[in-house]
Amino acid sequence: MVTVTASTPAIEVTNLRKTYNRAFRKTGNIALRGMDLSVPRGSAFGLIGPNGAGKTTFIKSILGIVQPTEGTVRVLGGSPEDPRIRARIGYLPERLHLPGSWTPTAFLATVGRLKGLPPDAAGHLSLLERVGLADAVGRKIGGYSKGMRQRLGLAAALIGKPDLLVLDEPTDGIDPMGRMEVRRILQEEVQRGTTLFLNSHLLAETERVCDRVAILADGRVVREGKLEDLVRGESRWVARFAPGVSVEALGSAGFVPARADGVFHVEAPDATVLNAALDRARAAGALLVELRRDGMDLEAVLLGTVSAQAMRAAEVAA
Amino acid sequence: MSPVLGIAGYVLREAASRKFIMAFMVGLTLVLAVVALGMRIDVIDGALAASRLFGQEVRATIQSVDVALRPVYQASAFIVFYGGILFGIVACSDFAPSLMSPGRIEHLLALPIQRWHLLAGTFLGVMTLALGGTLYGTTGLVLIFGVKTGYWTVGPLVAGLMACVGFAAVYAVMLTMATLVRSAALCAAAGFAVLVGGIIAGHRQDIAKAFEEGLSRSLFQAVTLVLPRLSALAEAAGDMAASLPLEVRSLGTLLVGVFVFGLAALVVGFWRFEGKDY
Repeated sequence: MVTVTASTPAIEVTNLRKTYNRAFRKTGNIALRGMDLSVPRGSAFGLIGPNGAGKTTFIKSILGIVQPTEGTVRVLGGSPEDPRIRARIGYLPERLHLPGSWTPTAFLATVGRLKGLPPDAAGHLSLLERVGLADAVGRKIGGYSKGMRQRLGLAAALIGKPDLLVLDEPTDGIDPMGRMEVRRILQEEVQRGTTLFLNSHLLAETERVCDRVAILADGRVVREGKLEDLVRGESRWVARFAPGVSVEALGSAGFVPARADGVFHVEAPDATVLNAALDRARAAGALLVELRRDGMDLEAVLLGTVSAQAMRAAEVAA
Repeated sequence: MSPVLGIAGYVLREAASRKFIMAFMVGLTLVLAVVALGMRIDVIDGALAASRLFGQEVRATIQSVDVALRPVYQASAFIVFYGGILFGIVACSDFAPSLMSPGRIEHLLALPIQRWHLLAGTFLGVMTLALGGTLYGTTGLVLIFGVKTGYWTVGPLVAGLMACVGFAAVYAVMLTMATLVRSAALCAAAGFAVLVGGIIAGHRQDIAKAFEEGLSRSLFQAVTLVLPRLSALAEAAGDMAASLPLEVRSLGTLLVGVFVFGLAALVVGFWRFEGKDY
């Protein structure tokens, strides 16, 4: 009997390792090297990382498609090997292969049947309408564009109102308007209480949809946390001063000019150092107009984290 | 609904969309229609008096209908057995590899079904297809000749069912091959190999004499020992269709042998599939 409480993470992996053993080779390909991750229930969680970091292997591990070499995987309080747990998961694979000669309603009906749900033709039509395929209900899937197939895959993942949505590149091939629609649907699902686990190369997409992000590199989680904490600069601030300010005077106060006029950067690890720098600037006659922490976008966070990880790995190797 | 039936339905729906399977069913219907419409048989007091095919008289001596129809039913049984298995190998070789293709297998495995459901459902779907096609053809033949001659027999139907048993053993190997290598060509090759091996195994005692006594003969006997005796089963099917006494010593043992072979192949496939990463 699986007891699930609100505090039980939706996904919890500990020391997850996966090595793909190949025939006629002594050593296998290591995809995951001891991964620890906890995804809170009800969160919109994004997994990002460079190619070959192990993202797809991780997703397959939490769905029971790939069997871990070592470590534990708990999903919705149980094992992903348990069909009752998988019945509560909606999954959209990266390259969903759909039967081209079927109609979308037949496909959704089959997925519903295999999920053990009663027939619900009206519900399936409503899902197709929700993902923007209302006009293509009568057409065969073979005639669908890539974006339409992705939408249908999303509709299939939404069947049965799952507690956990695992989406691998959900907006791949979808036009910008379509992406907005998909984003809206995902946000609605999160508001409904669904936990969203998103793997997307489109970092802007992850940034817009997710509230927590993990960065995976070389089979390990190298950084994880709330999105706002990750993108916030740790000690770098942006200050804008009124026109007429002396660049030399501000430079001696620790301010570095930015590209825009009147805008400067300053490094200050805490409030005392920051205020001391501002006092020096004011003493030099500068008038502060705006002050904010220098935020980064997710791309910068990813690049910085992965580069730092690579440098550490090189140091260890040396 | 059982997930196995759900997957079987998935396979059947896929099959229905294949043009060559539909073409086969249309072709079979046309053959039956030609036989029904083009052949005229005159029966007097249970004896075949005359028969005409498209108006041309077929030369034959006057004999009782059941005797006259024996070669027809026997030939049909062989065509259904070997032709059916050959067509099945070609037509069904890519069902399992297609289900296991990237993007589809992940989606299926993430659904709340057990892995064995997927293989069992695929096997059931293909066998339903084979059984449906076989019964359609043999029932049609029995009905046509029954109506025309008044001679009714279930022999061809039983022969058709035996062909399905033979195909089940062949497809079990094809399905297992798909769990090892996702290739329709290799699945078909494995099916052909079992068919040829099964034909040889049915005559192993006679063929063994062609080998020199010693290692080569023992090796041949050892290899053919585990193969299903498909040619013996086909001959038994032919005899059953023609209502002739069986030449094989024990049909039961023959069927059990084929069944055990198929089951063993499936067990290997299930075991491999359970532990495979996709």
